[in-house]
Amino acid sequence: MSVSSAGYEQRGAPTLLAQPLRWLGHGVNLPLALGALAFAVYAGRAGAYELRLLSVAGAYAILVIGYQFIFSYAGAASLAQSCFFGLGAYMTGVLGATYGFGSEITLPLSILAPGLLAAAVAGAVLRLEDHYFSLATLAITLLVTLVVTQWLSVTGGTNGLSGIPSFSLFGQTVASRYDTMLLVWGFVVAAALLALLILRGLYGRAFHLMRQSRPVASALGLDTARMRFSAFVLSGCYGGLAGALTAHVTHVISPEQVGLPLMITCLTMTVIGGRMSIAGGILGALLITHLQEQFRFLEYYAFIAYGVATLTFLVLVPNGIVGSLEAIRNRLLPTTADPIAEPTVAPALDSHFADQGETLLEVDGVSKAFGGIQALSDVGLALRRGEIVGLIGPNGSGKTTLINIISGLYDSDAGRLTFAGHDISRLAAFRIARLGMMRTFQHIHLVDEMSVLDNIALGWAGVGGAGLRQAFRAFGRNDSLKQARDYALTAARALGVDHCLADPCGALPYGTRRRVEVARALIAAPKLLLLDEPAAGLNEEEQRDLAQRIKAIAATGTAVLVVEHNLVFLAALAERLVCLDQGRVIAAGLPTEVRADLKVIEAYLGTAA
Amino acid sequence: MVKHSISTSAVVGLGLLAAVPVAARAADVYLPIVVPVTGFMSVAGGSQRNGAVMAAQNAPSGLKVEAPVFDTGTSASGAATALDKALSDKPALAASASVFGTETVAMVPVSADYKVPLLTISGLSKLTESGNKYVFRFLPNDREIKVAHARYVVDTLKAKKIALIGDTTAYGQGGYNLLKEIFEKLGDKPVLAESVEPDAKDMSAVIAKIKDAGADVLVIHGVDQPMALLMKQSRAAGLNIPIVDSSSIVEPTATALFEPTELKNTCAETASAPETRPTPEIAAWADAYKKQFNEEPDSLALGQYDAVMMTMSVIAAGAKTADEVANALNTTTYKGVAMTYKSNGKGDMSHNAEIVCWDGTSRIPKVVATYSDADMILK
Amino acid sequence: MSILQLVANGLVLGAVYALVTLGFVLVVNATGAVNFAHGDLVMAGGYAAILFGSWIKLPLLLLLPLVALAMFVLGVLVCCVAYFPLMKRPPSTVFISTLLTGIILQNTYVVAIGPEVKAGPPLLQGSNLPLGPVVLSPQAIATVMVAALLIGGQYLLFFRTPLGRQLRAVAQDREMAMAIGIPAFRLIAITFGLGAALAGVAGAVLSNQFFVSPTGGVSLSIYGYIAVVIGGWGSIFGAVAGAVIIALFQVVASAFVPYTVATGGLYVALLVILFFRPQGLFGERIQRRV
Repeated sequence: MSVSSAGYEQRGAPTLLAQPLRWLGHGVNLPLALGALAFAVYAGRAGAYELRLLSVAGAYAILVIGYQFIFSYAGAASLAQSCFFGLGAYMTGVLGATYGFGSEITLPLSILAPGLLAAAVAGAVLRLEDHYFSLATLAITLLVTLVVTQWLSVTGGTNGLSGIPSFSLFGQTVASRYDTMLLVWGFVVAAALLALLILRGLYGRAFHLMRQSRPVASALGLDTARMRFSAFVLSGCYGGLAGALTAHVTHVISPEQVGLPLMITCLTMTVIGGRMSIAGGILGALLITHLQEQFRFLEYYAFIAYGVATLTFLVLVPNGIVGSLEAIRNRLLPTTADPIAEPTVAPALDSHFADQGETLLEVDGVSKAFGGIQALSDVGLALRRGEIVGLIGPNGSGKTTLINIISGLYDSDAGRLTFAGHDISRLAAFRIARLGMMRTFQHIHLVDEMSVLDNIALGWAGVGGAGLRQAFRAFGRNDSLKQARDYALTAARALGVDHCLADPCGALPYGTRRRVEVARALIAAPKLLLLDEPAAGLNEEEQRDLAQRIKAIAATGTAVLVVEHNLVFLAALAERLVCLDQGRVIAAGLPTEVRADLKVIEAYLGTAA
Repeated sequence: MVKHSISTSAVVGLGLLAAVPVAARAADVYLPIVVPVTGFMSVAGGSQRNGAVMAAQNAPSGLKVEAPVFDTGTSASGAATALDKALSDKPALAASASVFGTETVAMVPVSADYKVPLLTISGLSKLTESGNKYVFRFLPNDREIKVAHARYVVDTLKAKKIALIGDTTAYGQGGYNLLKEIFEKLGDKPVLAESVEPDAKDMSAVIAKIKDAGADVLVIHGVDQPMALLMKQSRAAGLNIPIVDSSSIVEPTATALFEPTELKNTCAETASAPETRPTPEIAAWADAYKKQFNEEPDSLALGQYDAVMMTMSVIAAGAKTADEVANALNTTTYKGVAMTYKSNGKGDMSHNAEIVCWDGTSRIPKVVATYSDADMILK
Repeated sequence: MSILQLVANGLVLGAVYALVTLGFVLVVNATGAVNFAHGDLVMAGGYAAILFGSWIKLPLLLLLPLVALAMFVLGVLVCCVAYFPLMKRPPSTVFISTLLTGIILQNTYVVAIGPEVKAGPPLLQGSNLPLGPVVLSPQAIATVMVAALLIGGQYLLFFRTPLGRQLRAVAQDREMAMAIGIPAFRLIAITFGLGAALAGVAGAVLSNQFFVSPTGGVSLSIYGYIAVVIGGWGSIFGAVAGAVIIALFQVVASAFVPYTVATGGLYVALLVILFFRPQGLFGERIQRRV
């Protein structure tokens, strides 16, 4: 599954053969299908040793797929994946070997226990950034390794546990190597399908945006904390499953499978196969498992060769094998998007609230300091439904800080903010967004590899409730994505970007990207639209065009607050202006008045005229 | 059930495999060597490998022996896989198995699957205490050798306040727990018993505790690095009580970490100490080993050598299948280079141990006490 | 043994850890990359000390500059192999590449020198010196002095020389630095070289007291990581403080509780610090600029 494939659904009835054929022609599905076929042939004729290796590789595939949730999708380099694996393995080992429980009991527990651990530490650990998060997960892994090594009576200590029974369900044992291999790979298929279900829709795509910029994702209504939480817990459950299966295959478990060596292997498999691709994860697991065995005959030089080979791979093949295959394929056979039929229902931009002229946003006495610098002092303003207000002021006057506070990315030190009747002073950004406030940013954050349509559709993800539960309910029918794309089409039309819907955003000119970004903020029919310097970087014609479109948006009832330097741009647009200087409101009112205000002129030019 | 066929493993469906050279010359006897050649046990594994290879080259007349080496990588899962690979290649009559207890534990179920006896020198007690009839160990069971270790401390040194320090490796944990148990049975419970992490660098805290406890003998059981650090730092801190170590310190690579003077008043238990060349047979063997491998031998190499030699001798005497080999090993008495080997019915073949001590003038110790058979059993 | 002696020994260990961490935080600052092969570079320094010590019969103290030089070259090499080709990728990729480099280094040591533990030559020969209530060996005293010297030298380099200013500029904003003509690539390579040189000296210094082994560096990389986080990401002073804290914790805590409990306690303490003060003890909390 890749980001770049457009994959639009064709409306109309396909023939029975046409659909699978089209699926095969998609992306790298053909080589993957061939690979799976070859795999099946090999597995059917494999001897005892190869079967064992295949089973182990299969368990690792599950480990890697699970890891992709937190590492590739949520973008957090967790070092706890091997810890989850170890927990699952020990759970199965202790309950199976020491107490004789069958897999009907040990397997669910082995999946649940690491999931619970992940959930328990998630609160503390997930709010950490990058390196801190990695280190925290490493500390957890080291702690669990320590406990496992010391709790001799239960875990067998450093010598580990042996005599772990084979997989058994209510007394029926899966004994032979061949059957075990089938069992493990059955689980691999199930795990992969589940991951596809969760990740292929709008929810999965939202992760790409979250990874790029968490503030931007939050401001669009995505509960990034919960997304990371879900990804982390999922990675834990998958890790536990992988550990449990490995215990059943090898019949032993020891502490070395809890700690760093396995973690490094997991990382390598993820990166080599292809970070974002489930097929890549499986491929990586198969490849590395077999390579490690193959290199063993080199004895001392084995690990040097392994390290050099993997490093070379890392450098030369950045998107992993599957990612590179996809890139090659796209180069050779560019994906043509299927034509999008007219949506049968074009959802109108409805503004779901009451009267004209009602105060929508009220900012009262807001102050904010950073370190020793007072960025805002006692700032107040108000917006009514359908109004367009311009926020102006020289550089460093606090405009962006104010916008960030209004949209919930910063907390104010003092003051009160009310929006649509709610007190949003301390509300999280994503909740404010879901109340009906959307915004754009000075630096445009779009997912470059995704199409225009999908980028716009992401604006619906948070508001429309894209999440795990929804993904399960949809059960693969992609309802949320389809719906979001319908709405996206409407928003695209409003911003005039409906001519390039299938193009990846990375290739677009700046002006078009800006319009796509505004469309993304518009898709959920917000009550209030905050635009942070939308005209920057646009030429005159583009500015005029954008101003007109914004007026049209406001005419439907959406209030707009525009932060701008460009007074010419605002001239045609704003009904009122508010001017900031050094964190204070120095003028507010009609544009002509404010522009003529001496204080404003002084602020911009530095001296009284 | 597991098939004994020669697999078609050279072809992998995804085209991954490098060409593996398979030396398929017709040999009478296939005795694979599955030991840690890489990883942190590679010193011990290397000794095992050398001993086994040397034995295979000295096969009794009429016997052609093929003894390829498979690396376990000092990992339990790696060991199981390596043994699996070794035993699935062709029918084996026996296999040399890793000295590393954690690995051997993982290899036992595999050997039971294929019904092939394992020849190991690991001391881990539970290997022969779980009813498995395929494990034969040619160095004393830890349980027995720790009795020798403890008896020397209690009976000969007459220690009244024992400080017992172990480490948290598999080797360390096993011996440490056994020693605690044995000291208590002998009526001489340690006044201090603690374990350190194998990568611990500064031992001041532990040394402080030993001093505070007023210990009169320091008993250590662990791998070489932390034990050497503890010994050196103890002496530097003015702690001059006798130290009685486990056999890991007897390795030539371990004694190389010391100046000879730092080893004064130190002793250790070991199954055999070929580098001291106590008998003409051992001396001849040790010289031959040194000539072949360019390093001093240790008890591990000698133990594995005797293991493979005994196996080959029962094969030459008529054992044709793995089962027959196992039975023969259980019932035969064999005079090896280091000692005479006889099974106690559970696969423990070696029942001799000695205490060696350093006098501060050389890195090569002298044998000061020997224990055998009944002395090493505690009821 | 008095508590003062324990603290003194802890400070000696802390000096060693501080040297290790110094090189680690240098690279973190300049590139944002966590070099997980750093501990293995420390071991390389130890092996270099052993090799040079066997070729040239001088006390190790005098051989240190040679070790530093050799390690500088190795550091530049590591930079070219594991960092430069992957500069534009996400930081996790560099993390993996340094892990792999570490594996390559560890196994090269085995192949080139051998898998066994080795003791390096002492910095200085001599018997213990009583210093008031504590007793220290000349080796230990020399260790602390070398560490203090290098930490001070690091500070001077970074804050008092033009080269240091440039290094800091590259660390703060690479693109901007390049835009004003600073040769960022060369400076990054120099940073890696310096970091490796510091690591090498640390390894040489600890080679006699604490031994050298192929995998001995792994735990040092972890401690460096922990020290930098505790002390505050990017702060040299914080990293040194973090290193000393870890060492004191290890030595002093394990006098009162079993060693394994002390180790576990370190990890728990780390998690607690991260929970309450994620920016580290001395770091600054940074608001995301949007």
